[in-house]
Amino acid sequence: MPEGEVVGLVGESGCGKTTAARALTGVVPANARIAGGRVTFGGRDLLAFGAKDWDGVRWRQIAFIPQSAMNSLDPVYRVGTQIREVLRHRGGLGRGESDRRVDELFSMVGIAPERQQDYPHQFSGGMRQRAAIALALALNPRLVIADEPVTALDVIVQRQVLDTFRDLQVRLGLSAILVTHDISVVAYACDRVVVMYAGKVVEAGPVRAVLEAPSHPYTMGLYNAFPDLGRASGTLVPIEGNPPDLRDPPKGCRFAPRCPFAVAKCREAQPPTVTVAPGHTAACWRLDEAPQLRQLAREEQTWLRSSTSAA
Amino acid sequence: MAEAAVAVPAAAAGRRFRLPKIDPYAAIGLTIYVVFFLVALFADRIATHDPLEILFDDDGNLLSNVAPGAAHVLGTTNLGRDIFSQLVMGTRNALIVGVSAAIVVASLGTLVGLVAGFFGKWVDTLLMRVADVALGIPFLPFVIVLAAFMGAQTSNVVIAVALLLWPNTARVIRSQVLTVRERAFIEAARVTGSSTWRILFVHVMPNILPLTFLYGSIAVGWAILTEASVSFLGFGPSDSISWGYMLQDAYGSQAMSRGTYFWFVPPGICIILVVVAGFFISRGYEEILFPKLKD
Amino acid sequence: MPRIVTRLLHMLLVLWAVATILFLMFRLMPGDPTLAYIDTTFSAEQRQQLLVMFGLDRPLHEQYFIYLWNLLQGELGTSFHYKRPVLDLVLSVLPNTVVLTFVSLLLAYIFGVLVGAWLAWRRGSWLEGVVIPSVLALRAAPEFWLGMVLLATLGFGLGIFPSGGANSPGATFSSEWARIFSLDYAQHLVLPTLTLFLYLQGLPLLLMRSNMLEVMQEDFIMMARMKGLSERSIMLRHAARNAMLPVVTAFALGFGGSIGGNVVVESVFSWPGLGRLLVNAVAGNDYPLAQGAFLLITMFLVVMNFVADLLYSALDPRVSHG
Ligand SMILES: Nc1ncnc2c1ncn2[C@@H]1O[C@H](COP(=O)(O)OP(=O)(O)OP(=O)(O)O)[C@@H](O)[C@H]1O
Ligand code: SF4
Ligand SMILES: [Mg+2]
Repeated sequence: MPEGEVVGLVGESGCGKTTAARALTGVVPANARIAGGRVTFGGRDLLAFGAKDWDGVRWRQIAFIPQSAMNSLDPVYRVGTQIREVLRHRGGLGRGESDRRVDELFSMVGIAPERQQDYPHQFSGGMRQRAAIALALALNPRLVIADEPVTALDVIVQRQVLDTFRDLQVRLGLSAILVTHDISVVAYACDRVVVMYAGKVVEAGPVRAVLEAPSHPYTMGLYNAFPDLGRASGTLVPIEGNPPDLRDPPKGCRFAPRCPFAVAKCREAQPPTVTVAPGHTAACWRLDEAPQLRQLAREEQTWLRSSTSAA
Repeated sequence: MAEAAVAVPAAAAGRRFRLPKIDPYAAIGLTIYVVFFLVALFADRIATHDPLEILFDDDGNLLSNVAPGAAHVLGTTNLGRDIFSQLVMGTRNALIVGVSAAIVVASLGTLVGLVAGFFGKWVDTLLMRVADVALGIPFLPFVIVLAAFMGAQTSNVVIAVALLLWPNTARVIRSQVLTVRERAFIEAARVTGSSTWRILFVHVMPNILPLTFLYGSIAVGWAILTEASVSFLGFGPSDSISWGYMLQDAYGSQAMSRGTYFWFVPPGICIILVVVAGFFISRGYEEILFPKLKD
Repeated sequence: MPRIVTRLLHMLLVLWAVATILFLMFRLMPGDPTLAYIDTTFSAEQRQQLLVMFGLDRPLHEQYFIYLWNLLQGELGTSFHYKRPVLDLVLSVLPNTVVLTFVSLLLAYIFGVLVGAWLAWRRGSWLEGVVIPSVLALRAAPEFWLGMVLLATLGFGLGIFPSGGANSPGATFSSEWARIFSLDYAQHLVLPTLTLFLYLQGLPLLLMRSNMLEVMQEDFIMMARMKGLSERSIMLRHAARNAMLPVVTAFALGFGGSIGGNVVVESVFSWPGLGRLLVNAVAGNDYPLAQGAFLLITMFLVVMNFVADLLYSALDPRVSHG
């Protein structure tokens, strides 16, 4: 996780992005079990954290911008009060200081400071997301995790809120993780991208490299599924099928059931994560054929169910 | 009459049993119902004495306040009546009151809810205003006044209970109908030219019948409780034995200061069991306990 | 604003409808129609006065308007039994009922909210399996029976508490307030209050528990955890505050409902309140008194329903700041 950069975390709806992002703050439902993998932050292993360690990190170092600010703000308290709560209980600020800070935060994200007297339901969707950004920045965190901060908004407002976010990120030198299922958001606002499929990272690297030369078939497919970046023809080609049930993932490559390039090996063993270029990794058995596959992937036919036997 | 009326919970029970997974609470509730139903059915044979007969021993002395024992399972009252037999016969009365009130409440509530929800517009507004008024009337005082003025008969208690209890059922049924009505299959039925009545009875009814049974099973408990209260206050029928009557008798005869617990504790336990059984079966605790909160 | 107005109109409509039902109920009773206000024990002069006051010699529809007009002025007739204005009688017992209801309701709600919230927080523990059925059983028990059991055990059995009434016979007080705040009154209050408390605590307890469970699933609770707020502050400031909304409404509704529901408890403990007055009036065919007591109970119920509505909107900014 490079300092001062925005990393995009992309994947289909339901692939576990929110879950992964929440796990980074150590807030998981009681029935969750972290089965494997490592999470490190500032050189420390978050998975080994006790309650005390978390207390130092939560919101003070890692803050969160939720998918739906409407549900994430307590409906019975004024927006300003909720920010003040964090400032005073978590930031240790006094009454006067926290009032000043709330004003400052509101103007930073572009909401008139007098609106802090409003209740969440009185805000528009865009304002609520801005308020959520203000809330996240309250304690000057080192890392901000934004879980689809703009998905619920219309395109124009999306752009405005993203601009605000990006602008503040640069100005404050924040590191940020931007979770999204929208690859155009990644292209617009991120420096690096991590592509997830069915709870696993399938490809990671600098935005330009990943988008221009995707190495994993799933990334190629995602790319096609979005019109403004996709092929000239403009038709949208969805990836057929649905993500697997995460409680019982298929063995071998998790993408195999939907991958047009799947071979026998894919269904037997999980592909290892391989570095394809400096800072660019992917996990696929057929990485060495990537250029050819990219070629094939551009053709609509490839993605139709009937022609899955490309191998 | 008794048999016909009492048969309904068994029918409701049949439906429940067909559910794929039976909730343990519901199972307990059903068991309680079945036991009381059997007791009511065979009350004549289970009772050891005539509940109203004043008993004397062989020497002609009044068998007053006899402690529980072999001859009198729960002892006798201060007037020498057998408490166990009263309890058993009281079951019959309780179930008749409970079940007949439940039938009236459930059918009236369902009918009003159906009509209001299905026809909407002014019919709906009118019926719901009437429901508001019924809910604005204090429950027990109304039943007492009505029972006192119309005559102390079991049927009047049932009528009074039904008059005030139907709105809860009607409101729930109405909102259910509103949901169901919009569903696609009804649209389809409309397109293919089914008549309004056909849609109502063929498509909407089956969706709300479970709710009808649910609210019926709650009404059983309320009616029994209400009948007991009315009897306790002395406005109940004097010719038949009910649990409320037993409690009134015990209260009036200073059973509490005498500490004759076996007299007034068992009827209360029986009432609790029957009412709790209704709660358990319906499981919608909050709605049972306070239907007005959920709208 | 318009919401309050509609609710107010709605309340008046219900009050009017109930008054009308009451009128019909007492007028269409079998027997002498003047029976609603005039008893044979009244003097000829008194009878004549009442006949004119309630227009009992006029056609029914005129009687109805006279009745409504009298109601608006608080004119409820004269009690057959006490030979005193009904309004004075009902108002004189009102404080006893209000005190009994309010104290027991308040205790029940404080207890219910705390235990309910705690149960939600410790959900799934074995306690649930014990507490919930017991609460339901108490809720299913007839209030008067609970009263009888308490009377037998604590009243007669231990002999700690007086068995009935609101004051010891012969006790005198300088004022109504002195009476209500006396130790004697408090001692008499214990058993009826305990009875009502046991009966009433189930609703807030179960309501609070289920609301808490629901609120605890909300995203803003998850967010509060991410913010690193203390568990205490999450539970109290956020979860409980939200879960309390319907409970507060239930309190107001319960207050209105209990005034009438106290009928049996007041009878068990001979508590000189509105409910007992009603029961005695009905039993003694004291029609004007029965009508008056019934009307007052209804008014309480309807007004508290209205208050509950206002309270809800005051406490929920989604309604009050629409
Ligand atoms: N690694 C995992 N192992 C098992 N289950 C998972 C895993 N990740 C997520 N899930 C489950 O998958 C479901 C969807 O997860 P999540 O909400 O994180 O998806 P999402 O990518 O954020 O979707 P959306 O784009 O709709 O917000 C959840 O019920 C979650 O419990
Ligand atoms: S490993 Fe096989 S199935 Fe998985 S993405 Fe690569 S080609 Fe497709
Ligand atoms: Mg998500």
